[in-house]
Amino acid sequence: MRTRFLLGRVLDLALVLLGVSFIVFSMIRLVPGDAVQIMLGANTEITPERVAELRARVGLDQPLLVQYWDWLSGAARLDFGTSIWTGRPVSAEIAAAMWPTLELTLLATLVGAGLSIPIGAFMARARGSGAEVAVRVGAIAGLTIPSFWLGILSILVVTSAFPGLSVLGYVPFTEDPLGNLQRMVLPVIALSLPMLANLSRLVRSAMLDAMGQDYVRTARAKGASARRVTYVHALRNALIPYVTSVGVAVGYMLGGAIVVEQVFAIPGLGRLVLGAISERNYPLVQATILVMTASFVFVNFAVDLLYAVLDPRVRR
Amino acid sequence: MIRTTLLASTACLIGAAAAAQTLDVALDVPPAGLDPHLVTAFNSVLIASPAIYEGLTSIDNDLNVQPGLATDWTISEDGLTYTFTIVEGATFHDGSALTAEDVAASLRRVQSEDIASPLASRIDLVTGIEAVDDTTVELTLSAPFAPLLASLAGIAIVPAEFETDPEALQQTPVGTGPFRFEEWQPNGYISLTAFDGYRVEGQPALDEVRFHFVPESATAQAGLLSGDYDLLPTIDPATALMLEGQPDLNIQTTRDLAYTLIGMNASVPPFDQPEVRRAVNLLLNRQEIIDAALFGAGVPAGPLSPALTSWALDVSEFDCYTTDVDAATALLEEAGVETPVQVRMIVLPRQDARDIAQVAQQQLAAGGFELTLENQEIGTFVQDWRNGNFDMFVSANGGNVDPDLYFYRTFFGGGSTNVFQYADDELDAMLDEARSLTGTEARKEIYDEIQRKLACEGPVAHIAYADLSAAVAEGVSGYTISPIGRIADIATIDVAE
Repeated sequence: MRTRFLLGRVLDLALVLLGVSFIVFSMIRLVPGDAVQIMLGANTEITPERVAELRARVGLDQPLLVQYWDWLSGAARLDFGTSIWTGRPVSAEIAAAMWPTLELTLLATLVGAGLSIPIGAFMARARGSGAEVAVRVGAIAGLTIPSFWLGILSILVVTSAFPGLSVLGYVPFTEDPLGNLQRMVLPVIALSLPMLANLSRLVRSAMLDAMGQDYVRTARAKGASARRVTYVHALRNALIPYVTSVGVAVGYMLGGAIVVEQVFAIPGLGRLVLGAISERNYPLVQATILVMTASFVFVNFAVDLLYAVLDPRVRR
Repeated sequence: MIRTTLLASTACLIGAAAAAQTLDVALDVPPAGLDPHLVTAFNSVLIASPAIYEGLTSIDNDLNVQPGLATDWTISEDGLTYTFTIVEGATFHDGSALTAEDVAASLRRVQSEDIASPLASRIDLVTGIEAVDDTTVELTLSAPFAPLLASLAGIAIVPAEFETDPEALQQTPVGTGPFRFEEWQPNGYISLTAFDGYRVEGQPALDEVRFHFVPESATAQAGLLSGDYDLLPTIDPATALMLEGQPDLNIQTTRDLAYTLIGMNASVPPFDQPEVRRAVNLLLNRQEIIDAALFGAGVPAGPLSPALTSWALDVSEFDCYTTDVDAATALLEEAGVETPVQVRMIVLPRQDARDIAQVAQQQLAAGGFELTLENQEIGTFVQDWRNGNFDMFVSANGGNVDPDLYFYRTFFGGGSTNVFQYADDELDAMLDEARSLTGTEARKEIYDEIQRKLACEGPVAHIAYADLSAAVAEGVSGYTISPIGRIADIATIDVAE
């Protein structure tokens, strides 16, 4: 039974990736202009023959289906081709850009998902108190403030309060752990805040729901403390919608990372794909989006597995 | 509180130690590659020349031609043969010595069909390239071509072994300049380190130059204030205004060689008529555009930048630059144009271009032009622009140091960037004559006439030369902003602790 479940998911994954690859392949080509034109855009001392020559060199003169098939059969062997602009293998470009994004989203998810449980539980328990209202207003602000604005503002505030503190760019953790974390603080805050706000509100309402259930009243009646009822009985049940939302939020976080990387000058996947789109670097766009899609699907796969842990009924 | 102060001061110490003798420069976008013959986009050139690569000649900050890898040259009487003497003791970053053969191979590389260099047209007329001996190169031209010396400044000399290789230099550039390529972290930074084999004793002064890629201008500003970056070599007028008066930094300003323009499609009515193009110029109020779109930081533009002091005519010489709606309306009536005219204007995705388009929309409405603005994404814009798919456009162009380099390709009938499909036999004859003369005075006479003609009736309404500004941290010495947007003094710039 379980193997079948796994096999089904793997098949789903393959279908999703195939579909996404086709959509991305067609969409980026529907956008007018190609890499050669953009490459030549500003320096215009060029004849049509030279354009054709350059286009042939990067393989853009082939029919679309041939291009797609070539790319697909390469991708099946994990060969994603070379970047049109730099001539480096696409896989190397992605590997280099992956770590900053991975670190950023991981830390932001830990902060966002981790803090939302105590905050949400607090809001549910202290409902209506002054402190709870303040936190709730904060949560709404966190949901509505765009991360690029928050990012720029936090850079300006921090650099004027602590001139000389490096908060921009990226240093690999292995090279300079302190410098790495120091530069991660602001982007992680900017990236995790919407998730934190969203999930806290969700935990709050799920907890309130759970606390109105019969089993909570029963637990209280048999003498369990209010704290125990909140954190053991109600929380565990409230976690199921929470886990689903975390999976979805990680997907949105990849989108948010594009903006945050742009603001904080972090050389991650978001900037890679953004640059690739505006340069019409087709192989790079296709592969990067494929990697992002795959990670989104994997996270949600992991979420499905987590259900089984939280809710015994799913295991059947 | 104590803890945060401690953290901040530790970071200060670390920052100061790491910043010793390193110039940190912030640029908005990374270059597409560093092969100087293939990628001529602004940021590639800014990084690579003259730090990594040098040409036979060079252009100083006053836009005069100076010796580069050639110490001197002679031009034959008929203007058809140029003989260059190559500097002694120059070495490439790979250790090999520079010879005349490397120079010849570099020029052949630019002309090669296989390399497909966009610079090829700059030396189109060069038909013979010969390394006479180790230190002498002779170039033969099919026709006299006055801008050759200026053109050669933009052609980097690379080792002969790369003559047929279109790939290697993109990632690992090899030149003769004061800095050698060290490391490229994609989207992060490019690091250049001092080349100890540089032929000039005591240069470069810096140990390292690091170009960081910072897409957000607010981020770059914050980084300059925090000391992460020492130099923002190109900032827009709004940023310059914001940084003006901040402690510990200086703003340098010069006149840009690049300009903003409104293009008109000379192959579609009504812009195919010179009277209509003159009317457009009469309707535009350039000072108003500059005040509204460029925060007043710029000057009205004629066809040549005032930075080209030996060529440019003052805009007061152009009668159509005095706004006159009545005269414009009369001209349009005379030309038989039925107003209102529906006009599709495509707009380069840059804030200044968008703002210019909006002001121009208002101004041209007074003459009966109803402009529909299309704010396009860059790829779409380039495609429409190149295919002549527009009635009008707002854009920005990089400048050239010789009038011929701009006029010939842009306005000559069938020229490579004549996207307006403009054709005027009289102008073509003047352009051909001007490039065949080597005497500056005789050339200037013709270019004066060309400027007068193009200013009012050409397919381009030149709008403004913006102020070009750079923001420099207090500790940086030896940097002077260049109107062509390069870091020309890279070998002598220093950073104080």
